[in-house]
Amino acid sequence: MSASPSPSAAGAGRAADVAALQGALDAEHAAVYGYGVAGAHLAGARQKEAARDWAAHEAARDTLAAMIIALGAQPVAAAAAYQLPFPVRNGQEAVMLAALLEDRVAAAYLGVVALSAARLRMFGARALQSAALRATSWRGTALAFPGLEVPAPGPVLAGQGTAQPTPGPSTPGGSPPPPPSGPVGG
Amino acid sequence: MGRGATRRSVLAAAASLPLAAAGCGKGIGALGTPPPPLPDVAIVRDAIDGETFMISRYNAVLTAVPALAGSLRPLVEQHQEHLARLRARLIEPHPSSRPPHPSGAATTPAGPQAPGTPAAAQDYLRLAEQAAASTLLGKITAAPPSLAQLLASIAASEATHALLLTPGRRPG
Repeated sequence: MSASPSPSAAGAGRAADVAALQGALDAEHAAVYGYGVAGAHLAGARQKEAARDWAAHEAARDTLAAMIIALGAQPVAAAAAYQLPFPVRNGQEAVMLAALLEDRVAAAYLGVVALSAARLRMFGARALQSAALRATSWRGTALAFPGLEVPAPGPVLAGQGTAQPTPGPSTPGGSPPPPPSGPVGG
Repeated sequence: MGRGATRRSVLAAAASLPLAAAGCGKGIGALGTPPPPLPDVAIVRDAIDGETFMISRYNAVLTAVPALAGSLRPLVEQHQEHLARLRARLIEPHPSSRPPHPSGAATTPAGPQAPGTPAAAQDYLRLAEQAAASTLLGKITAAPPSLAQLLASIAASEATHALLLTPGRRPG
């Protein structure tokens, strides 16, 4: 239909692809870390949900890393530790953290939706939707514009933070916390 | 910002073409057939029609099952936000000069018929939300980047509405 893009245009397009995917990968690294923190403060069904979402983010992280390598770039590494946006000391705060992590992941995937390649756009849009669904599950409410607007951390609906505070392991410095225990269901 | 302003001006120019042509009298013949609107104008119009019809579905349900108002109001308000954001991307020509939309969704004279029981009404809206999200996702590859982002975000919002309308939501 049209001539092949020039080498410089193709290079710029690939650089944009890599940058957007790296942004999403960075958000996934943070989510994997953050769910480790959240899971330590949840119990019962909520902890199982955290384990499932934690596993989803691990899988997404690996997928993104493979995509970035396929583009000839080096995937960004996870940080040794991440600054939590607020102290997480109990189940309610853990639920707030999980919802915020998902909001930020959604925002990162929105960058992928802006890429030129249809395949990457759809990938980004589906990942955005998955993050929005998880955020809604945690928060109990929907957002009008997931990814476009990351709300400030706030209270969740009554009854959402059902887990009791647990003495859970403190976040170890220098390495991500262990995953929440419990079965990782699909 | 500058880029957004440019996009808006392009959309506005495209949307105003039929109006300009209509005011030209004999100029129409001289100009020939006005060019079709840009593809993203059609995408935005489709999305506007979709949101408008979704809101009419919610309103029909709220009329038929007022007991659902508490849970449905936040969702319909978000649809109104979607509609406002979409409309902001398009400067409409005068309503009488707007060509009829092939889908006719927004101009259906009789509003949608909503089921009369809470469970059936929620299911009706859930399916509509799922379909709307799927339709928007189908448009994003043809849209310019910023519009694709908006459509993807609205599609995600509608998918979350469907989740909230699911009985015993958050299935394992």
